[in-house]
Amino acid sequence: MDRREFLKILSATVAGFALFGCRDGLLGDMPVKGARLKLADFENEVKFALSKMKPGMELVRVPMPAALKTPGASQENRFGMAIDLDACDACGKCVLACIQENNIPLSAPERANRGQFMHWIEMCGGAPAMCFHCGDAPCEKVCPTGAANHTPDGVSAMMYKRCTGSRFCGANCPVHARKFNFDDPVASGRSLKFNAGVPVREKGVMEKCSLCLQRLQDARHDFKALHPGESFRGRGVTTACAAACPKNAIIFGNWLDEGSPLVRAAKDRVLYAPKAVASLDPSIVYMRGHR
Amino acid sequence: MKYWMGGIFAVVCAFFLADFLFCQKATPVRVGADAGGPNSIAFLHELHGENIGLDCSHCHTGAASGARAYMPAKADCMDCHRLPLTENPGIEKLDSALAAAPAYPWKHESALPEHVVFHHGVHAAAGVECADCHRGFAGAQPGAKADVYGGENFSMQMCLACHRGETFKQKNFRRAATYCAACHR
Repeated sequence: MDRREFLKILSATVAGFALFGCRDGLLGDMPVKGARLKLADFENEVKFALSKMKPGMELVRVPMPAALKTPGASQENRFGMAIDLDACDACGKCVLACIQENNIPLSAPERANRGQFMHWIEMCGGAPAMCFHCGDAPCEKVCPTGAANHTPDGVSAMMYKRCTGSRFCGANCPVHARKFNFDDPVASGRSLKFNAGVPVREKGVMEKCSLCLQRLQDARHDFKALHPGESFRGRGVTTACAAACPKNAIIFGNWLDEGSPLVRAAKDRVLYAPKAVASLDPSIVYMRGHR
Repeated sequence: MKYWMGGIFAVVCAFFLADFLFCQKATPVRVGADAGGPNSIAFLHELHGENIGLDCSHCHTGAASGARAYMPAKADCMDCHRLPLTENPGIEKLDSALAAAPAYPWKHESALPEHVVFHHGVHAAAGVECADCHRGFAGAQPGAKADVYGGENFSMQMCLACHRGETFKQKNFRRAATYCAACHR
């Protein structure tokens, strides 16, 4: 065998293995046939996550979120949440409610032991933290496919079918709110479809808090069908975590609507955001103390 | 040289073949309706719609304001068919067929993938009429299913064309949302 022939065989073999590595299905992820998951499995994972709580984030004062400056942004709606640090006792019910609303899969045991969960809400130093839906979101700027984008009403949305899994967004998120599906949640038997209205994400797709986008969409459509011509202000909509909180510490609403429960709750409170995202115009803020 | 080129070409072809044989196919976006049972009398839209002036949403509840338009149950048919409706001799055959019909004679599953939201009522409220997207039933075969705009070739581009105001120009629809999260989740 001469040098030329050796290189040919080598490159052909490498090309063959590379092509084989691209396969998904045939000899790829084999479906796991185990015991069917129960809600208790997810409850236990939330308890485990609470026992591995991350340290708290440094908070700085922020003003009340205003309308987005980006072209095409709505001047009527900017959806967001305020988390009352005086009321929250880190019970973790919001995490479980989020799992059930958004069909979040269990984390693989070896990843869970390292404290890596798929939960969109995580307890950091005794307070829930999720994607802060920054108005000036750094994750969206680095998405090569446009899968991470902003709605005109202030939700940082993920188009899962567009995501090719570059993970640039996860690397550029200052608070690590994005979670990557390293394996197929369905094929690995770690997901349970609680909510038929939310698709389960596939392997190689980034996911994060969507501010219960599906609830906003459904409410908006129902509203527009019944009140054509009127503008939707998001009244009556709430997120799963806010609805589940026994202390009413998470409040969802429209920052630009004076009558919104969010504005009424946050009006005379001092608002904080993690230092890492405070300059990025977050839609989700913490509130503590009275002014 | 040629031998190796052929070898690599064969390997690539084999992978394409394996992909074709084993890989999951792209989910086609189709909307259709199932016909009734083998012994049923086919439903004739023309007889109910154009003839006696029934509105689509009379039987397809939810079409005017709901998220989806439903298929009628047998009870909905019996609202009218309890009574002898015509002098037509065929009516007895129809009555016995109706008596034997299952409670839910028609089933319809939307073929839209689950990451797409289509709210029927929003489109109706925006002034889109049923026949704009669903073919009229004048002269249609008995038991014909409603055609859906675009049919088998339906794609997101057809949604976008109308939302941008490029199609249905004569109807003067308002421009609709074209940001991703308006329809995708």
